[in-house]
Amino acid sequence: MLSFVFRKLLMLIPTLLGITLVTFTLVHLIPGDPVAIMAGERGISAERHAQVMAELGLDRPLWEQYLSFLGNLAQGDLGHSLISSNPVLDEFLSLFPATLELGFCAMLLAVSLGIPLGVIAGIKRGSIIDHTVMGTSLTGYSMPIFWWGLLLIIFFSGILGWTPVSGRLSSNYWIETPTGFMLIDTLLSGEPGAFTDALRHLILPTIVLATIPLAVIARMTRSSILEVLGEDYIRTARAKGLSPWRIIAIHALRNAMIPVTTVIGLQIGLLFSGAILTETIFSWPGIGKWLIDAVGRRDYPSLQGGILLIALIVMVVNLIVDLLYGLINPRIRNSR
Amino acid sequence: MALLDIEQLSVSFDTDEGTFPAVSDLSLTLEEGEVLGIVGESGSGKSVTMLAMMGLLPFNARVEASRFHFAGQDMQTLNDRARRRLTGNDIAMIFQEPSTSLNPSFTIGFQLLEAIKAHEGGSRRQRRERGIELLDQVGIPAPGKRLNDYPHQLSGGMNQRVMIAMAIACNPRLLIADEPTTALDVTIQAQILDLLLRLQQERGMGMILITHDMGVVAGAAKRVAVMYAGQLMETGASHDVFREPAHPYTGALLNALPERHPGTARLPTIPGVVPGINDRPQGCLFHPRCAHARQDCRASRPALKAVHAETGLGTRHVRCYHPLNEEVLEIAP
Repeated sequence: MLSFVFRKLLMLIPTLLGITLVTFTLVHLIPGDPVAIMAGERGISAERHAQVMAELGLDRPLWEQYLSFLGNLAQGDLGHSLISSNPVLDEFLSLFPATLELGFCAMLLAVSLGIPLGVIAGIKRGSIIDHTVMGTSLTGYSMPIFWWGLLLIIFFSGILGWTPVSGRLSSNYWIETPTGFMLIDTLLSGEPGAFTDALRHLILPTIVLATIPLAVIARMTRSSILEVLGEDYIRTARAKGLSPWRIIAIHALRNAMIPVTTVIGLQIGLLFSGAILTETIFSWPGIGKWLIDAVGRRDYPSLQGGILLIALIVMVVNLIVDLLYGLINPRIRNSR
Repeated sequence: MALLDIEQLSVSFDTDEGTFPAVSDLSLTLEEGEVLGIVGESGSGKSVTMLAMMGLLPFNARVEASRFHFAGQDMQTLNDRARRRLTGNDIAMIFQEPSTSLNPSFTIGFQLLEAIKAHEGGSRRQRRERGIELLDQVGIPAPGKRLNDYPHQLSGGMNQRVMIAMAIACNPRLLIADEPTTALDVTIQAQILDLLLRLQQERGMGMILITHDMGVVAGAAKRVAVMYAGQLMETGASHDVFREPAHPYTGALLNALPERHPGTARLPTIPGVVPGINDRPQGCLFHPRCAHARQDCRASRPALKAVHAETGLGTRHVRCYHPLNEEVLEIAP
């Protein structure tokens, strides 16, 4: 088991190297440079431009820049943002809790709703419930996330006025943020009403970000349950005279969860790309919005560092999912 | 009073293209402690009949009978909950594929003990002791350790022993064994069969043994029923039926046994296949494959008729206009 984890961790290294190469190349393929963008519309003289480029080390050949990036990386240094000149890692860590909070709520919603809906649709196959769940999830899956977000804002924030339009907390609250998780911080602050305010801010972004994973999980659970219900061991369970509830909740669900776990793991990776759009729509101060801003400003170190860290997180999550398989599926546990 | 008393059972499946009959006009009785063998090719409705008895058919199946009694209880009037109290408790079943019939995600112990828990309750410790005792009875070595094993860690034969332990866990009065040895190695087949028959005798259970191995039936069952395309073709004492088959189908099945043709290179076969659910012929269901078919066989479907045989072990029935060995059989009017 330990050697399995170790081998998997070792395999992360070449993958991460590949990712640095790809992001480095892509980032520098974007037209324009950070100095020209900082200078704005008025522009600066070519001399001054060249001088700043040299100060930032951006005048060196690309391979040299890449090697020095790798060299720093080996020492745990992701570089400094070109815009704020703060260390990239610090900026990432200060913004990450916002994304984590949103992502966690979205996955919680997707899993806690997607699995039961999929199970019900599977059991009641061909019924109105099944068609409704499957039709809705196909719609949710096909809907562009930014458009869906705008629709929700227009309806719930604009017309009904139930939820705030953007941000994490209304400006009339000013609280300390020791953890970075707004739901926890507002509770710790003891400020009356702050927690519900933070919660209200979370609702729409959570729904938007959860929509696609919810749809995928529900569909996967349904087809998985359908397959499992046709298995011989379900007939055996029925032959024992067990209650239908027990047969589904214990005998079918445990086996049906094996492919669903894979899908959930993959969705966590995709969650980050969803977060970029969602955070932009809702002005959510997280990693997604930060990355979009970095693209706009050609903040090369932030982009390279940010993407590398996200890739690392996604790979670790998938490793954890791999290990979780063993808990659900004894056939894998024993073959390791 | 018979343990099982079924008259005119029919099972049909509702599909988008209409209703298809799988079993029709099937009557069976089984006494307490009796072993009945059911033989027939694949697709002859043996398993469907047994699943109907267990209440395990899919929801689109329709089961009808003029009489369907188990131990004096009318099974047709029982609600789902009362029915579940019988299945796994008084009626138990074991299946063809032991390795897929056990849930791969749970230990042997969990699956065995949950059957006891569902019907008999008792403390966790009592159940565990009972589980060890049962595994020991079905001949599993080191039963205490095996309780914590998963099905994939055991062989097919061992898994079938676990299935048997599960089936007898609640001391059923009727055990249905649906081709219990078909998926196993030949050497294991005999062991499992011996085990089943030993348990049946020790416990005095009624047992229905489904198989397409005529040799198994001859050795194990006093009575035999031959099924074809969802109908009972012949029933009677195994001794009589095997010595003097009345139905041409029974005769053809027996004639295909290797031991009846020592030294020949090619065994006789029955041409064709069992008709599917939607291509059943007019007249006798067996006539397209029957060597003795005549005009009346093609015209109308024969009814099951009582015949009298020498040994007189129970009544004997045959569904044929022109039975074999007519000279020995006295066809009742």
